[in-house]
Amino acid sequence: MKQGQLGKYLLLILPLVIAVWTLYPTYFARSLKSDRNAMLETVSDSVERAQKLQTWNETNGEDYQDYKQKAIKFGLDLEGGMYVTMAVDLVKLIEETAQNDAKDEVFLEVMEKTKAEALATQDDAIDIFVKNFREIAVPQKRDFFDYFDLGDLELTNEEDIVDKLRENSVDAVDQAMQVLSQRINKYKVSEPNISKQGNDRIVLEIPGVTNESEVRDLLQTTARLNFHLVRNNSEIVSAFAEVDDYLKAERERKENGGSAAIEEPPVAADTVAVNADEEPVVAGEVGESTDTTARTDDSLQLAETDTVTAAEEDTTNEDPYAGLSTEEAEAKFQKEHPFTSLFATTLASNGQQINYDAPSFPDVEYIFRIPEDKIDEFEALMARPDIRGMIPSKFLISIEANPNQYITDPSGREWFDFWSLEAEASLTGDVIVDAGPNFDPTTNSPIVQMTMNSEGSDRWAAITGANVKKRIAIVLDNRVYSAPVVQQRITGGQSQITGSKDIKEARILAIVLKAGALKAPVEIIEERIVGPSLGEDSIKNGVQASVAAFLLVLLFMAIYYAASGMVADLAVFFNVGLILTLLAAFGGTLTLPGIAGLILTIGMAVDANILIFERVREELSLGRSLRSAIDEGYGKALSAILDSNITTFITGVILFYFGSGPIQGFAVTLMIGIIMTLFTAIMVTRAIIELYLSRGATGFNFGQPKHAAA
Amino acid sequence: MEFFRNTKIDFLSKRKTFFFVSFVMVVGGMIAALLAGIDYGIDFTGGTEIAVKYKEGSADTESIRKTLQDAGISRFELKSYGAPNEFLIRAQDDVATAGTAAVSDNVLKSLRAAYPGADKSDVELLKVDTIGPKVGKELATNAVIAIILSIIAILIYVAFRFEFVYGLGAVVALLHDVVVAFAITVLFNKAGLINLEVNQALIAAFLTVLGFSINNTVIIFDRIRENLENYKNMSFVPLVNKSINDTLARTVNTFLTTALALMTIVLFGGEVLQGFAFTMLIGFIAGTYSSIYISSSFVVWFMENVRKVDVYGKLDRPKGAKVKVASSSV
Repeated sequence: MKQGQLGKYLLLILPLVIAVWTLYPTYFARSLKSDRNAMLETVSDSVERAQKLQTWNETNGEDYQDYKQKAIKFGLDLEGGMYVTMAVDLVKLIEETAQNDAKDEVFLEVMEKTKAEALATQDDAIDIFVKNFREIAVPQKRDFFDYFDLGDLELTNEEDIVDKLRENSVDAVDQAMQVLSQRINKYKVSEPNISKQGNDRIVLEIPGVTNESEVRDLLQTTARLNFHLVRNNSEIVSAFAEVDDYLKAERERKENGGSAAIEEPPVAADTVAVNADEEPVVAGEVGESTDTTARTDDSLQLAETDTVTAAEEDTTNEDPYAGLSTEEAEAKFQKEHPFTSLFATTLASNGQQINYDAPSFPDVEYIFRIPEDKIDEFEALMARPDIRGMIPSKFLISIEANPNQYITDPSGREWFDFWSLEAEASLTGDVIVDAGPNFDPTTNSPIVQMTMNSEGSDRWAAITGANVKKRIAIVLDNRVYSAPVVQQRITGGQSQITGSKDIKEARILAIVLKAGALKAPVEIIEERIVGPSLGEDSIKNGVQASVAAFLLVLLFMAIYYAASGMVADLAVFFNVGLILTLLAAFGGTLTLPGIAGLILTIGMAVDANILIFERVREELSLGRSLRSAIDEGYGKALSAILDSNITTFITGVILFYFGSGPIQGFAVTLMIGIIMTLFTAIMVTRAIIELYLSRGATGFNFGQPKHAAA
Repeated sequence: MEFFRNTKIDFLSKRKTFFFVSFVMVVGGMIAALLAGIDYGIDFTGGTEIAVKYKEGSADTESIRKTLQDAGISRFELKSYGAPNEFLIRAQDDVATAGTAAVSDNVLKSLRAAYPGADKSDVELLKVDTIGPKVGKELATNAVIAIILSIIAILIYVAFRFEFVYGLGAVVALLHDVVVAFAITVLFNKAGLINLEVNQALIAAFLTVLGFSINNTVIIFDRIRENLENYKNMSFVPLVNKSINDTLARTVNTFLTTALALMTIVLFGGEVLQGFAFTMLIGFIAGTYSSIYISSSFVVWFMENVRKVDVYGKLDRPKGAKVKVASSSV
């Protein structure tokens, strides 16, 4: 084989291989997804659903996530679902930030005008506010400090206040992100997506939502920040043990078809061993003037906490686990404890796993932790009214919002602490004036500083005084974000919280605390819902029409340009395959306008080939040899093809920058399409024709009339 | 197969007539469109738009209108959407004040409440679009910026690759195509022949029209550039005519294939793609025409009247049509 030929073969084969390699995940991801959805449709009970989903995830989950990562994503216009854009209501934010008792008529007038102008123009509301403040309030001898007290003496001029307002708006968005991503977890099965757009917008995409008003309520309910006392005590542990027995009895009833088989109560076994190294890190007292709410974060190396290891060989005869292999013991344990086997319960003092078979539990503090894959089942069980009724109503069970950063699991799972809280909040978050992340000056570890108003400070002093060495949970929107241990009675309203693993975690906690001060004035500014049937219809019609259009064009080419037309057709197939490949590779989304872009691209690709073939025919009719006609034809057509494609590409770029959502999808396919067109319509077709000629063919049919044939 | 071979059509002899026809079309079309009134989509006005699908033949516009009015929803528009049992309701009510999403909820609830049996599948939600007033303004501004920037970018690119006058000719043709496509779209929408409001998707279609149009124009300009090199003794008008004839086979074949594809989508592409493809088809037809009768004719007119070149005589090359040699012609 000649050197040049090898290159041409590579030119043809390599893209094909890459295309197949890149596109197969899309195929597998879709078939796995439909497999999963079919499986989920068969069960209606939420607990059973969660269990089935977990089993499915164990066998297919990894492959599915992997394929999904690499697959082409389909836009909501094709899949059906809900698309929401949310933004901070800056006007409300300014109102929230200003002190309530300071708002006088002048301030209200400024706000009124700002509101009207913000609605009518596209200018930034903070800028409008500052302008109006200068125009209206300043001549009446008011300044910013009359209205804004941000609890921070370092703020000395107007610019600082404006900066603070901007900072608050960014925090409000991040805070809403925290809350919303917890809330939409409810729709986990449909794989929602939440992302930040720019600095001040949140975009939510929830495929396949059927109850849009429920989602909307979910997005718009204000999140509440509260402080709750932690009650991880023996009472709740006993309640958990009761749930165990209840579920076990329920299962047995089912298995025995209702016959009242009485089984001996489980005999107390040896404490189940846990390989856990416990290294409680008690944050030292730091800073002279500020009181410290130090968080004792147990740095726990969980080796096999969830897999309960079998008791040793020399256990007594009463041990129900004696003589069983690890797997058998684990299976038996899960059977005996359908509820408590979902999570790990340890003693707070030494980290030892407790034994739920025990007749009673010591009155000490406990720690509960649950791995991520069991949360669904846990929550589904806790949602059952009969089980809910077994948990004393004075307690509130809340799983932490974020995984425990100090735990490393050998199988890579995240572990979440969950807490039994006193149902009634000890203090509401609106007493918080400000909160911010910082570094401890002596230990250089990240901390969160929190400032309360005077009313809050007094109550805080009372609460902390009564609960020294106990935990108080910071709860936003019913999710615990942190549960620090009180080190001492805190007076003066300045607290600092240690125990954040890094500054990022500290910032999240600070933003959560700020929810008390800012009622996260985030509003829906754009919402699009595509019902499932419209999604189906538009896919069906759009795809069918596009395929028909595609085939018509190919047919025309094959008839008019004969053999060369078929080569061009082949190149178009190449082209479409490569466009999809690139979409998959760049994580692009295929939308309906994207399909339109694809059609436009096919049109332009065919146009390039028409240009070339017309040119070759022209050269042939001038009496050139086939070889030189091909060289001339390709060469002379090039400038026209390049110029026309580059101008269209420029339009694509501009469209991408100024379009939103669906239009960007169109622009992306168009741009990728143009690049691929230049490759396939020029290089691929030429390589095929030349390879054909190099195999000894003397002629090639460009569809030219006979008399001009070479 | 071959339809066109060595055609010698004198396109430019009728250029004044066609110029006039185009002028009338553009100005007349624009006036007609403005008189008829432009229906902006909620993308640009802000508001809520809800499409619902009733069980076959179980409701008509009258009954829905009554239901909504009874429910106290006063400001809305109602039209059919695709199939006869599908309806589009656009409510402007209080979106700015009452907060966005409540409106669509309200509408849907009222419709379902009024339906006997009131099952979810009897009154099915097809889609909802809710756009806050601020977002609408933003999208509209961006759309206008996108079109203007595209035109400027094309002017610069063509002027750079060819000559300034060619860039100008291209842009005149572009404006012609967009205005014609816009006017026809607006009029068809008003006449109720097709559901086509001026919205984001339509802007994308216009920008595609720009792409098509410049494509056609550039290919003829490219041929003029090449022929200027090869036929140094030919005067300008015959040379442009020859260039148009040289590329005629390509023009017609590309027109046929693309129009075929777009036509198929207009007819069978479904409600969502239909409007998009329709505008592209109109723009594409206008673009093919304008590449011959607007952009090329404009260049000839400019040469004759502004540069004072004798377009029928021997070209005074250094002073007149100075042409950069296309560097990419291998």
